[in-house]
Amino acid sequence: MARVELIEVTKRYGQTIAVDRVSLDIAEGEFVTLLGPSGCGKTTTLRIVAGLIEPTEGEIRFDGQVVNHVPPHKRNIGFVFQSHALFPHLTVAENIAFGLKIKRRPKAEVQRRVEEMLELVNLQGFGSRMPSQLSGGQQQRVALARVLATDPQVLLFDEPLSALDRNLRDQLKYSILELQRRTKKTAIYVTHDQSEAFAISDRICVMNAGRVEQVGTQLDIYLRPRTEFVANFVGDNNVLTGAVVRVQQRDGQRSVVVKSGALELHAVDTQGLQPGETALVFVRPENIEVLSDGVVSEDEPILQGLVEQVVFEGPTVRFLVDIDGRPFRVVASGPQRLTLLGSSGRRVRLRFHAVVAIRYEHAEAALVPGR
Amino acid sequence: MAGSAQPLAVERPRAGLASWLREHRQLLSGLGLLLPAFLTSLLLSVVPLVYLIRVSLTREATFFFTAEHTIENYRTIAERYLPNLWETIYLAGLSSLLDLVVGYPFAYILVRKVRYRDLVRATMMFPLFGPLYLSLGMHYLFLPNGPLAPALNLLGIEGTSLLYSLPSVLFAMAIFTLPFMVMNIGAALSNVDPTLEEAATCLGAQPWQTFWRVLFPLSRSGILAGLLMCFGWNLGVYVQPLVLGTISEQRVLAIALYQKGVIQFDYGLAAAMGVVLMALAFGVTWLSLRLSRGALGA
Amino acid sequence: MATGGKAIAERQEVAVRRPGLWTRVVRQRRRILDLVQHGYIWLWMLIFVLPFLTTFAYSLRTADGISLSPYQHVFGSFKDNLLLSFEVTIISIVLNLLLALPAAYAIVRFPIPGKGFLLSVLNLALYTPAAVMGISLVIVYNFLFHIAQTLTGLVGAYVVGTYPMMLIPIIVALRDLPQVYEEAARCLGANRLQTLFRVELPLLGPGISAGILLTFVIVFNEFLVTLFVAGPGNTTAALRVFNLTRTAGIQPSTAALASTMQIVSFVVVIAFFRFFGSRYLKGTYLI
Repeated sequence: MARVELIEVTKRYGQTIAVDRVSLDIAEGEFVTLLGPSGCGKTTTLRIVAGLIEPTEGEIRFDGQVVNHVPPHKRNIGFVFQSHALFPHLTVAENIAFGLKIKRRPKAEVQRRVEEMLELVNLQGFGSRMPSQLSGGQQQRVALARVLATDPQVLLFDEPLSALDRNLRDQLKYSILELQRRTKKTAIYVTHDQSEAFAISDRICVMNAGRVEQVGTQLDIYLRPRTEFVANFVGDNNVLTGAVVRVQQRDGQRSVVVKSGALELHAVDTQGLQPGETALVFVRPENIEVLSDGVVSEDEPILQGLVEQVVFEGPTVRFLVDIDGRPFRVVASGPQRLTLLGSSGRRVRLRFHAVVAIRYEHAEAALVPGR
Repeated sequence: MAGSAQPLAVERPRAGLASWLREHRQLLSGLGLLLPAFLTSLLLSVVPLVYLIRVSLTREATFFFTAEHTIENYRTIAERYLPNLWETIYLAGLSSLLDLVVGYPFAYILVRKVRYRDLVRATMMFPLFGPLYLSLGMHYLFLPNGPLAPALNLLGIEGTSLLYSLPSVLFAMAIFTLPFMVMNIGAALSNVDPTLEEAATCLGAQPWQTFWRVLFPLSRSGILAGLLMCFGWNLGVYVQPLVLGTISEQRVLAIALYQKGVIQFDYGLAAAMGVVLMALAFGVTWLSLRLSRGALGA
Repeated sequence: MATGGKAIAERQEVAVRRPGLWTRVVRQRRRILDLVQHGYIWLWMLIFVLPFLTTFAYSLRTADGISLSPYQHVFGSFKDNLLLSFEVTIISIVLNLLLALPAAYAIVRFPIPGKGFLLSVLNLALYTPAAVMGISLVIVYNFLFHIAQTLTGLVGAYVVGTYPMMLIPIIVALRDLPQVYEEAARCLGANRLQTLFRVELPLLGPGISAGILLTFVIVFNEFLVTLFVAGPGNTTAALRVFNLTRTAGIQPSTAALASTMQIVSFVVVIAFFRFFGSRYLKGTYLI
């Protein structure tokens, strides 16, 4: 119901920078997820949008209006907390009615709205219970109902599911998405769980060390990471460095050929790499195909590797394959995986799909933790 | 008007005072909320104590007319009231030690063995209602026809010999502060893992060795805190010596102070006694706050 | 064979019996130790209540046997003292609340430098012996504030001496209260005042009640500062007990008044424990 803009938002605590020049434009009715490791500033960003924290610099705009100095209770937002934050001294119904009573709505309307909300989150008949008498999932659903009751223009979620167990989390994330779709409210959702982010977002904003690393759809983030951090944080990746040897145009898509050791890899490039530049090349374990004998190469080169380790994980099989003296992680799934179980110590032929190249920037690479 | 798009005016010029107020709004409203309490303490606690020090440096009640400044009062205390000071410290110290001896096993059993703690806690409320009722009750207890009379007669002790005596004063003081001792030692002991004692026993330690080498060192902070707290409370002892003591115990500073200040209007000397008592009490409190982090740990 | 079997049976019996005897000795020693330990606790519990029980028994003993007649005085000639006690206690509780609530809120929720120092200034009266507080207040009341022997002065003394007792449990409760409730209320559209009254105060209930309890127990039973500060017309019940102790200590009516005071205090404390438990009293005067 509202467009939310963050413009160069920065939050400093003394010397430490929690949020560093974050800019983000969220369209009306869009569902954007802030994804990142703990301490990356995603929660601080969300709290700045809510007005619970004032930014040191930058602007927050709702529908073009600067709301920096508008206190949270005048922003017309709905905030769902990690620890549901249901008022323990009020019943479920009173919790849901809280925002409406604050707004001095007529009694009949409040009552009707509470019933409506209970129905919306499938908790009819639970109105007179105390929050402590509900299960974790029910509590979070009440928190959702409480937030929706006041008809806010923006929904904010701060890791609402992280305190719940896995099954419940899977159920609830789709309920949240469905509710957002039905109510068509702008939503910002903070999480460190990739599968959650991928399941429910229109767009994902990956954050690290207070900064935005990349904003894009699931496909963008997964298949076209723009930074080393994104490539490593989202899913698993094999990383290589190499030199760009030439640029190709094929089917209107630009690709580059990167030479790393003896390997020559064809990679998608979105940054306009030029021959001679150093590049980082990523290939995901599940995008390395182990070929059965007899498959003939078309135009992508076939690589040779030695299988060093095979781990059967049920739906998938993990391999460690030595290609050109370097270890690659490979994941196979589907019925074909079963034929590969005895391949340890054998030489296999492999084909790489969806290889991505980005410009290798020393300074940035050094910042990525654990490298 | 070339760029009709709004510029990213991140930095806006702000008025000096207004921006200062905005930046320190949190601090200012916090101080505002604190103000009534702070003023109360200032007017009714800090100012009186400062005045007490000033009055203690004047002769008798001259402060109220034309102040004659002198350190005479402190000299008087040093010359004539040292026994009173010692009596105060002696009673407070002895009763605190009594609390420790009695309270340590009490706290230990309470923490390790007793399940009816709420009942114990409820009975411990009675001493906390104040030493006045306590002294009065003990007074009735030792009366010649009181409930203890048959037992005392059997032992060949005359009740009245206990009625006005050092032991009964000490006992009354000790009972009043025993809950504080139990509370402090109990808190320290409940932080000691019982398996440590079992481990010591399994290593061949005798019970007294277990106590001396394991339990005592681990509960030392609680013992110190308890001792200081009991001592601090008992420094101001007033009613127990008055109701249960002899002339000797009635020398305590609080009684002398009341006599001088309220009965004889010698404000200077009374104030000086107050300053001495206050210095003692604050010293003890300061020590105990340093040694044990208080409930608030501020 | 038969004799051999009997011998084996005998030997087995001995073998079984020996540790049995030992266990029994150990068990018996442990039981005696348990008995001694619990006996010690019960002995002290008895000592704690004995002064009250003696007082109560004494209050029932009149010239013509056991009777409640001394209690006629409590609701007769001591009635005004009791009423005054209730009056000053209630006024003190209200004032303490007005002082301590904002102060606790400021200390826990606002960035104020030097909190430790401020807290010690606020708690100063807590560490001052009653006689010192009495004489210092007598001096400033006489000379500086000119409220000697007034009810105002008396209440002032109670408030400064006991509002730290209100402050501490509220601070403890406020620190225990997650800030997320406040934030949730704010995000649901409540302003600071609405948040305070609809969310925070109800959740602080036990802490505030603990403060009320402590104030009640102390002010209701305080006699020493009262002795210094109160004027002749302002004799509270506790001060009356003290005065009677000095002049008419052996009268059953004195014991009756002292018993009444303790019974009222005890009932209030027990009622509090029933409702809220003892959690918020930790680190304060009462356990």
